[in-house]
Amino acid sequence: MASITAATGRRRTSAATDTSLFAHIDLALLTLPIAISILGLLMIYDASGHETAVGGLPRLYYVERQGIAIVLGLVAMGVMMVIDYRRIRDAWPLVYLAVLPLLAGVVLIGRNHNGAQAWFQIGPLQFQPSEVAKVALVIAIAGYCHQHRGDLDAWRVAVAIGLAGVVMAIVYAQHDLGTMLVIMVCAAAVLVIAGLKPVHIVVLLLLAASLVGAAVVTGKVQAYQLDRLTSFTDQSTSHLSAQQQSPTQFNLGASKAAIASGGLEGAGFGQGLQTKNGFVPEQHTDFIFTAVGEDLGFVGGAALLLLYALLAWRLWRIALLSSDFFGTLVAIGVLAMFAIQIFENVGMTMGLMPITGIPLPFMSYGGSAVIASFIAIGLVLSIHMRRFA
Amino acid sequence: MSDNSRVRVSIVGVVIVALFASLFARLWFLQMGPEQKLGKAVSTLATRVIQTESPRGEILDRNGKVLAQDVAAWAVTVDRNLKKATRDRVLGQLAEVLKVPERTLLANYQSVRQSPLPPAVVDLNVPLDAQLAIREHSEDYPGVNVAELTIRSYPNDGFASQLLGYLGEVDSVSKPQLKQLEAKGYQPGDLIGRDGVESAYESVLRGKPRRETVQVDPTGRQVGPPISVDPGTVGDNVKLTIDINVQKVAENSLKEGITAARGLQDEAHRDKGFLTLKPTGGAVVVLDVHDGSVLAMASNPTYNLSEWVGGISANNFALLSAPGAHNPLLNRVTDGQYAPGSAFKLVPSVALSKYNVLPASQFVDDNGSVKLEGSVFKNDNGTVNGPVDLQKALTVSSDVYFYNAGNDFWKIWKIDPNQGLGIQAVAGDLGFGRSTGIELGDVSGRIPTPAWKLAVANANYKKGSPDWNDHSTWYPADNIFAAVGQGDDFVTPLQLANAYATFANANGTHIGTLWTPHVQAVVTDPTTKKTVEQYAPKARGTIDFGPAYDSIAAGLRGVVADPQGTANAAFAGLLVPVAGKTGTAEIASQGNTNFGSTSLFASYFPADNPRYAVVALVEQGGHGAQIAAPIVRQVIESIDQLPLTPIPTHSTGRD
Repeated sequence: MASITAATGRRRTSAATDTSLFAHIDLALLTLPIAISILGLLMIYDASGHETAVGGLPRLYYVERQGIAIVLGLVAMGVMMVIDYRRIRDAWPLVYLAVLPLLAGVVLIGRNHNGAQAWFQIGPLQFQPSEVAKVALVIAIAGYCHQHRGDLDAWRVAVAIGLAGVVMAIVYAQHDLGTMLVIMVCAAAVLVIAGLKPVHIVVLLLLAASLVGAAVVTGKVQAYQLDRLTSFTDQSTSHLSAQQQSPTQFNLGASKAAIASGGLEGAGFGQGLQTKNGFVPEQHTDFIFTAVGEDLGFVGGAALLLLYALLAWRLWRIALLSSDFFGTLVAIGVLAMFAIQIFENVGMTMGLMPITGIPLPFMSYGGSAVIASFIAIGLVLSIHMRRFA
Repeated sequence: MSDNSRVRVSIVGVVIVALFASLFARLWFLQMGPEQKLGKAVSTLATRVIQTESPRGEILDRNGKVLAQDVAAWAVTVDRNLKKATRDRVLGQLAEVLKVPERTLLANYQSVRQSPLPPAVVDLNVPLDAQLAIREHSEDYPGVNVAELTIRSYPNDGFASQLLGYLGEVDSVSKPQLKQLEAKGYQPGDLIGRDGVESAYESVLRGKPRRETVQVDPTGRQVGPPISVDPGTVGDNVKLTIDINVQKVAENSLKEGITAARGLQDEAHRDKGFLTLKPTGGAVVVLDVHDGSVLAMASNPTYNLSEWVGGISANNFALLSAPGAHNPLLNRVTDGQYAPGSAFKLVPSVALSKYNVLPASQFVDDNGSVKLEGSVFKNDNGTVNGPVDLQKALTVSSDVYFYNAGNDFWKIWKIDPNQGLGIQAVAGDLGFGRSTGIELGDVSGRIPTPAWKLAVANANYKKGSPDWNDHSTWYPADNIFAAVGQGDDFVTPLQLANAYATFANANGTHIGTLWTPHVQAVVTDPTTKKTVEQYAPKARGTIDFGPAYDSIAAGLRGVVADPQGTANAAFAGLLVPVAGKTGTAEIASQGNTNFGSTSLFASYFPADNPRYAVVALVEQGGHGAQIAAPIVRQVIESIDQLPLTPIPTHSTGRD
């Protein structure tokens, strides 16, 4: 392709060449999130039957709201594609500073939800700034590292870590341990690609380990957070009745049982008893993968994982193709963000990872996450479109 | 991009491939691999079977009158998934409306006898005003429902209680039994027949339960309509051979007789001054001599079956099981064991001629007492009867005659053990010493033999010791007392009636048939009205009474008809010809506690063409002629629809 564009002659960006920009669009990366979102809508419908019935809500309550979020997300993705990512690159401090008051505000006036104070109530809608903060932080650290590329000394690493640390601290104050870990992984991935020296990596790993240790010892990690971790390590609950199990153990048991019962072909859409009867808590949000596993079986679950794998491959490919270092760093940050969320979310439903409140990208019910995910994809698409420009 | 960065991006790629690979592998393990079995729990986790009992079959008397049936009753139920605070508030309100203590409601709510899934029944037989109060203010009673249930009802409550038997809940039995019952489809809280007909015909009366498979959410609440419904079937009806009218007379007469006995002098302990009798209970049984069907079966003291409905209260149970209550749950007809006294003389009468020991026509001089093998044996009250043959010996109840008979057999036994145990052999032929085979179940009683005595001695004494020698020896007195129904003889009223029925049905042929007594007449399907099972009479054996039959029959007839007969006064004026035998069985004192004699009368009627055998027995009721015979008279009068003759409240008697 490069040779063809070379033959027609490279020109600087202008209004006239915008059409050619869209000719370089990554159609796979454009369609994969949309396909997964549509599957997500179906599975939210599937998994919210019991929830809506018990709550006295309309049957399509969650589906409609998720549908609106997807449309908004598509619009946001379009906007991100149109904007030249290099302008965002240069304005990274603004992006970073814009997201801080949102995050801080939510701590002050946010609502409680499952032990995490992370929501703004805007009319009937809830807005979770930490979802957007993940993308903003990837932009900020990538921008900072791009600015100082090839010259990332210990001081600058410390500044980059400081940028992430402030966001992480605020998110931690919202008791959103899961998102904090996602942010940490994103920041680490960007820094590693940006040229973090091996000695820095070792020091940082030791630092992180001692911080986690200190948090547990000093009791900064709350009981329910520990419960989530221990129920991951102690999964044999067959000797306990439902009442004797901790809520998380019950979650995990129901979740694994639901997936295991799916077998090869699954119970069929809307047929799985656990899904239909609400045995898996939070199923339309964090545990949406259990609905896929039970109703669509191994065929459905594997297909969904394959879609995610393709998505990851396209992001990784763009990291290599990007015309500038910022693009590579952003693509890697976004890739890390999706990969860790998919691995953690799907992993926890199968007992592979501890239970945390991390949504499955494009699948879980939750408007802020959907919109933030589309924004991230839009940004990477923008990078891909402009790889020759 | 630098080469260093390119390498690092590639490493990220490898890491991500590894992450996805582990997810695929895990998914495979869970859905296709060894952990598939986790999913097996799903169907049991998400569905429940709600089993409700189908209506139980009815129990009817021979004329179709209902003795026990399932009827609808209004119950108040409370949902299981209420919060504790709400539940306590609701139960408090219900306590006021229902006028039932709150702790009673709570105990019912928490009772393990109730299945944990459906709403808990907290009160039964709720009056209409309380039903309306709850229904009209349903918003004040969250989780409360007024529902229609079926409960057991007894239109003739208080009669035939031990015969019908009560129902109990399944989990009040032992663990291994519970396992077996669960295998048969019972679940805790289900009702099961615990006694009498309800128990004997449990498999027939119990319907097939309705089974609904429902989907439930994690809190156990039903979701949507049932997935599958097995409607079950109603239990079959059991029609009995019992005539409730005769049954009522039998029970009332027994009660009247017991009351009358309380005013009589205990003549067995005349030497201790004027003591009144202290009767503790009694039994009456009426058998059809031609097929063993039971027309009436009365046991006193008794109780009301309705007290057991909805689970008997601890208070009531304490009353029923107190020592002073004399065990009202016991069916004395089948499970009471008594020394038969002179009523047993039918047996040696048959044995004497059957074994050619003494011809019926030969007279024995009855001087009121006899010295046998060094010991003196006396008649009751020392009455002197003069010369008596077999017929007269029965009519006047000569003990001397039968003491002699017992002694004669003992002497033969010394020479020929087979011939010498003729009394015991005839007793066996007449059904004594073993279960009658009645479907209600019964005890076997005991007819002592030398072998039995030896076995008891072996069990209790060191072989060869002086005590063992004494207790293992078959003395003349053992056989002498066996002949007059004293000593170690024990019979049930049903065995006695069956023996007399066997004698009665030999009328004309001299060959009697020992039938299996039974209470079931026919089992019908209430839906199709078709007969499921018609009872076929079962013969257990026959006995040839030989030519002495007519002498014995005349002797038994003389008991009632002859002016010298022991029961002549009791039946004076009754036109129905009755044949029978009185019995006054003495009970040995225990320390300072004296027991009045057991009053017995065993009979059949009409004497010339027997239809029914009737036995009455009153514990500590005095002479057989005083109390038992008048009870039998009333029962006979009721069968022949004659006016009942009151039981004399002042009488002396002899046996």
